[in-house]
Amino acid sequence: MSMVPKETIEVIAQSIGIANLSPDVALALAPDVEYRLREIMQEAIKCMRHSKRTILTADDVDSALSLRNIEPIYGFASGDPLRFKRAVGHKDLFYIDDRDVDFKEVIDAPLPKAPLDTAVVAHWLAIEGVQPAIPENSPVEAIVAPSENKKSDNSKEDGLHVDLKLPVKHVLSRELQLYFDKITELTVTRPESIIFKEALLSLAADSGIHPLVPYFSYFIADEVARSLNDLPILFALMRVVRSLLQNPHIHIEPYLHQLMPSIITCVVAKRLGSRIADSHWELRDFSANLAASVCRRYGHVYHNLQSRLTKTLINAFLDPSKALTQHYGAIQGLAALGPGVVRLLVLPNLEPYLQLLEPEMQLEKQKNEMKRKEAWRVYGALLCAAGKCLYDRLKLFPGLLSPPKHKVWRSNGRVATGTLNKRKPSTIHSAQQPPFKKMAVDGAIGIMQPIAMTTGSQGAEDRFPTQSSGTGMGQSSAAGQVSVEAIGGRRAPTGSAVLAQAWKEDLDAGHLLASLYQLFGEGVLSFIQPVEMSFFI
Amino acid sequence: MEEEEIQKAVVAYLRKKGFTNTELALHEEQNRVSFSSNSDHSVSRFENGPVRYSDGYSKLRLWVYSSLDMYKHELLRVLFPVYIHCFMDLVAGGHAHEARNFFHTFREDHESMHLRDLQKLEGILSPLHLEEIELSRSFRKNKFKIKMCEYSYDLLLQYLQKTQSFTMRGVINEHIDFEVSPGQPTSSSGDADFVTIEGRNTNLARQINQKEIHWGLLEDSVEQHLKRAVSDSEKAESANKEVNPEDNKKRPLDGGKQGIPVKMVKKDKLVSMVGKNVRSETSAVSVAPRVKPELTLPATLVEVEQAILDDLRSRVQLNSLALPSISFYTFINTCNRLNCSSISQDGSLVAGGFSDSSLKVWDISKIDQLVKTSSLQGEKESAKNENLPATEEGRKPYTLFHGHSGPVYSATFSPFGEFLLSSSSDSTIRLWSTKLNTNLVCYKGHNYPVWDVQFSPVGHYFASSSHDRTARIWSMERIQPLRIMAGHLSDVDCVQWHANCNYIATGSSDKTVRLWDVQSGECVRIFIGHRSMILSLAMSPDGCYMASGDEDGTIMMWDLSSGRCVSPLVGHSSCVWTLAFSCEGTLLASGSADCTVKLWDVTASTRASRVESKSSSPNRLRLLKALPTKSTPIYTLQFSRRNLLFAAGAL
Repeated sequence: MSMVPKETIEVIAQSIGIANLSPDVALALAPDVEYRLREIMQEAIKCMRHSKRTILTADDVDSALSLRNIEPIYGFASGDPLRFKRAVGHKDLFYIDDRDVDFKEVIDAPLPKAPLDTAVVAHWLAIEGVQPAIPENSPVEAIVAPSENKKSDNSKEDGLHVDLKLPVKHVLSRELQLYFDKITELTVTRPESIIFKEALLSLAADSGIHPLVPYFSYFIADEVARSLNDLPILFALMRVVRSLLQNPHIHIEPYLHQLMPSIITCVVAKRLGSRIADSHWELRDFSANLAASVCRRYGHVYHNLQSRLTKTLINAFLDPSKALTQHYGAIQGLAALGPGVVRLLVLPNLEPYLQLLEPEMQLEKQKNEMKRKEAWRVYGALLCAAGKCLYDRLKLFPGLLSPPKHKVWRSNGRVATGTLNKRKPSTIHSAQQPPFKKMAVDGAIGIMQPIAMTTGSQGAEDRFPTQSSGTGMGQSSAAGQVSVEAIGGRRAPTGSAVLAQAWKEDLDAGHLLASLYQLFGEGVLSFIQPVEMSFFI
Repeated sequence: MEEEEIQKAVVAYLRKKGFTNTELALHEEQNRVSFSSNSDHSVSRFENGPVRYSDGYSKLRLWVYSSLDMYKHELLRVLFPVYIHCFMDLVAGGHAHEARNFFHTFREDHESMHLRDLQKLEGILSPLHLEEIELSRSFRKNKFKIKMCEYSYDLLLQYLQKTQSFTMRGVINEHIDFEVSPGQPTSSSGDADFVTIEGRNTNLARQINQKEIHWGLLEDSVEQHLKRAVSDSEKAESANKEVNPEDNKKRPLDGGKQGIPVKMVKKDKLVSMVGKNVRSETSAVSVAPRVKPELTLPATLVEVEQAILDDLRSRVQLNSLALPSISFYTFINTCNRLNCSSISQDGSLVAGGFSDSSLKVWDISKIDQLVKTSSLQGEKESAKNENLPATEEGRKPYTLFHGHSGPVYSATFSPFGEFLLSSSSDSTIRLWSTKLNTNLVCYKGHNYPVWDVQFSPVGHYFASSSHDRTARIWSMERIQPLRIMAGHLSDVDCVQWHANCNYIATGSSDKTVRLWDVQSGECVRIFIGHRSMILSLAMSPDGCYMASGDEDGTIMMWDLSSGRCVSPLVGHSSCVWTLAFSCEGTLLASGSADCTVKLWDVTASTRASRVESKSSSPNRLRLLKALPTKSTPIYTLQFSRRNLLFAAGAL
């Protein structure tokens, strides 16, 4: 009943020499003891308040005892903080460790340091209501927070006039939460599975997922930053982005600022994926197209969107200290933004850049095979970009190519062939290449020539032989050719992983080109070729 | 037996006088009484035992909680008194175990509002204790007053009749006073604290609060002198106006000395500006008739008055836009021993009262010098000083006053800083001279620790408050108190003088603030509304308002004339140790254990309240600024006459 058990009373009675305390008395005393204890603690709280403290101390209990005229507890408390020890065998029972003090020890011990004397120091807490930033005052951020509180207090107090917006709690239904969890889990764990493809379709079409968009954008931004070394995940994430962008039911604009950095990261990051064999080129192409599509869709709403994007890309492109992979990404990104951008930003820088690039591509200058291959990639990308640009011009003025353009292109072409010729004998897998190449050329020329005729442009005709003779090329653009090439690729017993990759990429690009082909007619082929060519190399 | 005798006597008397009808009526009455008492017995036998309390209460509680929201908050008020009295009935009936069970079952409901009361009552386990605790006694003796709208009241009555719960009916009937108001139920939570009302018969409180008080300022005060002086100076200024242009012309010629006339001119303008402001203010205030002092006041010296006038002239005008500068005095190395502090009017002296019975006074102007010299010395002789800690520099930077034999709980400087009063747990008050650095008088009168002591605004008189539940008025020249104010039901924790010296206010652990007439020693106002013990009080300089701060961090602003709370100020999260009004009464500063000084706008609320007091809209004081210290609780706040705010606290 009482907090003080009667056993305690009995023990205390024994300790003061009352041996035979009857249980009834103990039982009656117990509640009274509790009452007295509480009473004294109440008094002690009073004393604490009058000592202007918020922590109860032993002194307060002492003064409460003296208030009640109870014999004080004799002895001295040391000024040290009390040392509590846990009683053995009890989890929550503590006692004060009161050591016996040997007089001799105390006398022999050196005098302790005199405690610092109480002093008063003055400082300005506020000058005309503003707290000066001096070390005596609490730091500024601590000041800022309460002032904000104060503001809110104020508005609360004037509540009648001020319309106070409460933070809106975002409620997600259980289904949506499950959906989100599932999608994120798929993205991270099984990006290759069929079910993920289904998920992408759902993301692209589902009309009810708008509440999840902020979560997805946060997830993508977060996950891209985290798994830069994991190419499949990055790819999966970009696919998710594409699906989200495709979805006509959701309003993704407010979250673009969160998505764009991730996309651009996937375009121009120095390293994507941890293994050499990872096809980060593919990811760069994919992301570049994604970025470009965002620009196309929202560029008219956010005027600085494209300018910011191109700025980032061109910075990456023109910085010689950046890795070739980054250059590649930048070029692809710019190319994806359209021929206009390429013409304005890439072509003027083409010549100096190629001069820079050339030594990287040559066996004699660049011993590192990886680097060399990268350089060739970049070269291919440049070629492709320029080609597209040219095609654009061609389309505008069929048959009337401006002479200066011609020149650039020609020289470009010459460089290409020149270097190619140099490279051919030097490639490691040259043994495997000739048959494959020959076949490709066979296939290509057959189609290529009539196309050249149809375009009827002298300039184009001029170039065609050069290019087609350079290598086999993107016949993949035509669906039929893809299979041919695939067969060719398989036939060629290439040990090089890079080559195989190039093939795979070709397949992927093939889809894109196929659609282009349908859209633009055969003319596209001629300017697509350089891309394919670059892939082959 | 007595009753029977009385009845016989009454009957005999009636017969003798021939009031037969009356006799019959009496008999009838008696029969009915005996019958009803019989029926009561049967009922009580039926539902006797401690279970009926917890049963009845839990049913009532359920009913209240399931009632309509509109009436719920009003009905909720009934629960606490019923709960407390059920518990006490159980204890009184000797069912300690059941009482404890009952208490703990429903404790949570009331913890938010009445935690301190519950803590106090928790320990009660025997009828004896009931008698001992002052709180339970006051609960038993007095009735709770609960405001309710008609409909809620009807609902409650209906419920009680329907359930036939005699126990509950008895408790409610016995201990609750309903104040039924017609119309709609009051808006929730705003007045919810009416339940806490306890203590004296509330009717008495109302009666007391209707007494007349003269809260006007003293006539012939220094401020009036200033007014006169200002009007003089205005005349002088107008006379000077012809001179001023000449000054301006002269200035370029003066070259190096040009600063002086500029200052002079500025000062003149400043004075006139201040004067105008003061005047406009006083004219606004002068609605209140000036009152004559009831005490014989000490005469102020001419030079002192001159100093005050100077201060008043150079006073900074404070309002919600112009906030004060705050000079903060931090006590360091106090080891939690500092109990109180006090700052003299001009901020030059700071006193600290310590739990080791000592009282220390620092002269701030000298401290600065000391610091400088010691730092200089430290550079030169740091090596020497280490070996010789007690050189002449070992002289303490403060004056130590020893005399008390217990913790010093309060200290206060006289208005002009020449005296210092301290009160201690040894139940004495001591007067010290800051000029002679010695103890002058020891005032013995209280029987228990003296919690607080305050000099009157004019000096000479002072008031003290103590654990013995009294407040006392003293004059410096007598060792016996002049008046003893008794009436609080618990410790009197703080005391404060009214600006016109005719009244003192006391705050108590019984959660009320009282205003006492100094001359008659009568209680003239009771301010009810706080939910925990009152820690600090401040009176507005215009004498109309009073602010009180409590343990929970709530500050309440009271209108002295009506005895009503103007506005509760919520903002502090811990004990409000100190409150101070700025000199014109436009700002209220509060210092708290949560390590902030907060500045509140008084004018906004009080002006509004004057206009709208009839509509009784809840005017809230506006919090202007919260100024956090690093981790120093604020013990004392003091506005100087020039409106510089001094604050002190112990690190």
